[in-house]
Amino acid sequence: MDPIILGIAVVNGVILGGLYGAIAIGLSLIFGVMRVINFAHGSFLMIGLFIPYWLWQLFGINPYVSVLAAAPALFALGYAIQAVLIAPLYRRERAMVVEPVSALMLTAGAGLIMDNVTFMAFGPDFRGITLDFASKALWIGDVLNINYTRLAAFLVSLALTALLSLFLVRTDLGRAIRSTAQNRDAAALCGINVMRIYNVTFGLGCAVLGVVGCLMIPFYPVSPSIGLAFGVRSFITVVLGGIGSIPGCILGGLVLGIVESVAAQFVTATSASIFSFMIFILVLFFRPTGLLGMKV
Amino acid sequence: MKPKMFFVIAVAMSLTFWTVTVLAGEKVAEVKLGSVMSLSGGAANQGTQTKTGAIIAADEINAKGGIPALGGAKIKLIFGDSQSKPDVGASETERIIQRENVPIMFGAYQSAVTTVTTEVAERYKTPWLVTGSVADIITQRGFKYTFRPNNKAVYDANEQLQAIKTLTQETGKGPKSIGILVEGSDWGKSHAANLRKLAKEMGYELVFDEAYSPGTMDFSAQILKIKSRKPEAMVMAMYTPDHIVFTKQMYEGRLDIPFGIHSVGAGSEDPNFYKAVPVQAIEYMFVQEDFQIDITELVDWTKPVDKKFAEMLGYPLTSYGAQGYSAMYTIYDVLQRAGSLDKEKIREAFVKTNITSGPALIMGWQKIAFDKDGQNVDAHGVISQNFKGKRTTIWPVANRPKGIKPVWPIPAWKDR
Amino acid sequence: MATQPNDRNRVLTATAAAIFLVAIPLGVTDEYYLHVFVATLYFAYMASAWNIVCGYTGQLSLGHSALSGIGGYVSTLLLINAGLSPWIGMIVGAIGAAAVGVLVGWPCFRLRGPYFALTTIAFAEILRIWTENTEEIFGIELRGAQGLSVPLKGHAPLLFQFDGKLPYYFIILAMLTAVMAITWWMERSRTGFYLKAIRADQDAAEALGVNSTRYLLSAMAISSFLTALGGSFYAQYFRYINPERNMGLDFSIELALMGIVGGQGTVLGPVLGAFLLTPAGELTRATLGGKFPGLHIVIYGLVLILGMLFLPKGLIQPLRRLLGRKATASRSEETAA
Repeated sequence: MDPIILGIAVVNGVILGGLYGAIAIGLSLIFGVMRVINFAHGSFLMIGLFIPYWLWQLFGINPYVSVLAAAPALFALGYAIQAVLIAPLYRRERAMVVEPVSALMLTAGAGLIMDNVTFMAFGPDFRGITLDFASKALWIGDVLNINYTRLAAFLVSLALTALLSLFLVRTDLGRAIRSTAQNRDAAALCGINVMRIYNVTFGLGCAVLGVVGCLMIPFYPVSPSIGLAFGVRSFITVVLGGIGSIPGCILGGLVLGIVESVAAQFVTATSASIFSFMIFILVLFFRPTGLLGMKV
Repeated sequence: MKPKMFFVIAVAMSLTFWTVTVLAGEKVAEVKLGSVMSLSGGAANQGTQTKTGAIIAADEINAKGGIPALGGAKIKLIFGDSQSKPDVGASETERIIQRENVPIMFGAYQSAVTTVTTEVAERYKTPWLVTGSVADIITQRGFKYTFRPNNKAVYDANEQLQAIKTLTQETGKGPKSIGILVEGSDWGKSHAANLRKLAKEMGYELVFDEAYSPGTMDFSAQILKIKSRKPEAMVMAMYTPDHIVFTKQMYEGRLDIPFGIHSVGAGSEDPNFYKAVPVQAIEYMFVQEDFQIDITELVDWTKPVDKKFAEMLGYPLTSYGAQGYSAMYTIYDVLQRAGSLDKEKIREAFVKTNITSGPALIMGWQKIAFDKDGQNVDAHGVISQNFKGKRTTIWPVANRPKGIKPVWPIPAWKDR
Repeated sequence: MATQPNDRNRVLTATAAAIFLVAIPLGVTDEYYLHVFVATLYFAYMASAWNIVCGYTGQLSLGHSALSGIGGYVSTLLLINAGLSPWIGMIVGAIGAAAVGVLVGWPCFRLRGPYFALTTIAFAEILRIWTENTEEIFGIELRGAQGLSVPLKGHAPLLFQFDGKLPYYFIILAMLTAVMAITWWMERSRTGFYLKAIRADQDAAEALGVNSTRYLLSAMAISSFLTALGGSFYAQYFRYINPERNMGLDFSIELALMGIVGGQGTVLGPVLGAFLLTPAGELTRATLGGKFPGLHIVIYGLVLILGMLFLPKGLIQPLRRLLGRKATASRSEETAA
């Protein structure tokens, strides 16, 4: 195996991996705090891709600017779904422990509705955008080229992760979220409004997808059906990196990206995805807390 | 609401729903044609386009007075959604044949679905006109009621290589090696299998031969490999999202393929693909599809169809829309000759089909006739080359517009 | 501790249902309706088989489609390559699936809650992707993503192929009765007793000396065996199987949905779920599918959400109250879960 090709594969894997990590952050956060597996995660990403698409298509707004609209919109959507659909589950159970199956199925139902209402509204077509600078790449030497928009997505993903981690550690709201994740009863005793924290966390997890969507749309097309595949991939990333650990997500994403990219050099890409699943399973068996996760 | 109440209400609603549907009667004095299409799920795009084409044709026929041989009966189309799943398609076929008593059915775009639905139709002795499905097996089972006007998969592969051969003969220059990149589910893989066989027979060397996972976000790995193996021509079978991503990355990476990229449709037939990639990226790309894409500029009577289609879906007539349109006029021709709604008479009319002119040939074929297996052996695809964002037919030579000269070999990126 | 009148109630209802189910197809001539019945019974069967693991161990499996795929592929491959009747082939496939189920389950049952679910998804996806990519193995043609067509033999009862729908109806009805009987027996057996304890609190049960692995794996083996039989039935009824539909996540979710909406951990629950959701799905698709594609799935999602919010224990909950069953057993089940 040509070391240059291998090296390039690793670089490309890293670039994509950072993005995978960012996509998975919301899932990790939501699961870490509320122990809910958001089966609709991919569907939120899909909406996060449609918003900048339509803003560009109808008003010519640059997707990087659309973040200002997409992130709040997705925050609101996530907040609403948590508050309206999932919160009743909590209120019903006395110990505020949701039976995981119910919440999972509930979010699955929400995902189905989101996917298909979007389908009914926009049709099945794949929509992509072309930006002038989107086709330009950063050339290193003669062989390695990194597309600017992908590079930007990678860098912003890292920045976002750092910001989020800082937020969780430094701000009051962030600390409230972390303490609720550690022990909700104790948090409640400290005067934290646990239900409100849940709502905000869910909203925050979805808002991240709004940002990511704007980063992705320049190089990746969207259609109402792409949700499930991204959801599954996010599960793998989260487990790899460790539930509840934000930096872990990026790490998990990087591992996934590199494994996919390198494996594709040795086997056909279709079989390479088996490797991702296998690593996922191995991690769950031998190191269930993931690379950086906290004890479940 | 108390759970008990909810339960009772739910049961009552279901029963009412059920009763109403059963009681809703049937209308008379029209010809019902049944169709199963992928209107939701992964193949919804193509299914919707086919449906639209059929509707346009049916409206035209009805506006001109319906089907004369049946006393001016108007066409009523009944669509069932296969949800892109074979068993759902089978369900819908059962339902439409049983409940609606249709004499003919058509569909279903996806080979996996059509394989199953044609078998159901065969059991009910109902003629089925295939649209869009290319799997060879569909017309290899000795069925009497299945008729396919479009290409079998093996024709597609053959045509791509024939076109390369033709261009080589015309210019004296041609590729010695070929690379294959296909999507990893049944369509891509079967196309690759056909290509492999034919390419070997025709003496090409296969230096790159891979499938990728549908929905891949990053083709840098494959592009790297292609660059290192240097195939002189590339054949691709990709669906829309993959084609968009690959084309963008190929363009960024300035991938040079001396004798061009030959795409066998799907993604490269989708108008959304062309909206999502820069024009320079697809320059000189060859596209094989069932439909002669520039027919709407060359043949006058196709223009209103194109216009209507664009009104309904927002983009110009596609191959699938044309297939739906063609299917309607083929059925019209059959019904005219059968003069009855009896399925056996209709089947015999299908067998004797020999269309050599008219709207059914909107695809660009010269003839529609079915061999003993129900396959139209005169079906052929049309290969076009992209010039400044427009596809212009270059093969078969009989369909090539006058004065058009294909660009062969393809200039390198730095020379453009 | 069911009381006398309740016992009689239940026996009466059960007999009435049995007579209804046996008689109904004889009176219905519309092949489409028969098809809907067969499909409904098929999903009821599959959901019940799924329920044996998931309802009684409390672990959510979203990979059961793989087991059905194994069953379907093995019986079809044996038919195509060895001419072996699917009646025997399906048993072979089921044994294979049981083995796979135990092999996979053994490490998986150490995981709890959502991790278990995600792992089952991973295993099923690995099998699906591998099958999609494999054209042939050891000389046997798998045809990868293109799937397998069951050779058409016309009316051949010995080869599990029939001309009409009635034979299929009665076969699946028999299979459903069998799986319900197995579930019912298991509930009342020692295995079922231990499973309930494990489901309530695995650590406590183990502290009391229950070998949870053994019982969990037994349930898994039985469930896998039965699910695979269902896969073979599918192959023989539709005469076509492919990895995407028969090993895919969609199908696993459908099974889980029916089991949960109907009421997992009960004999009747999954059957109820299938009886409600399958015809409802057919109906909405039939009336709305052609005109408003996608709407029927939105309705599906709504049913799911409403079910989870108002009837978390499934449809079986109000049905029990309707039938006046106030056994203490059911009450303790509710608090235990």
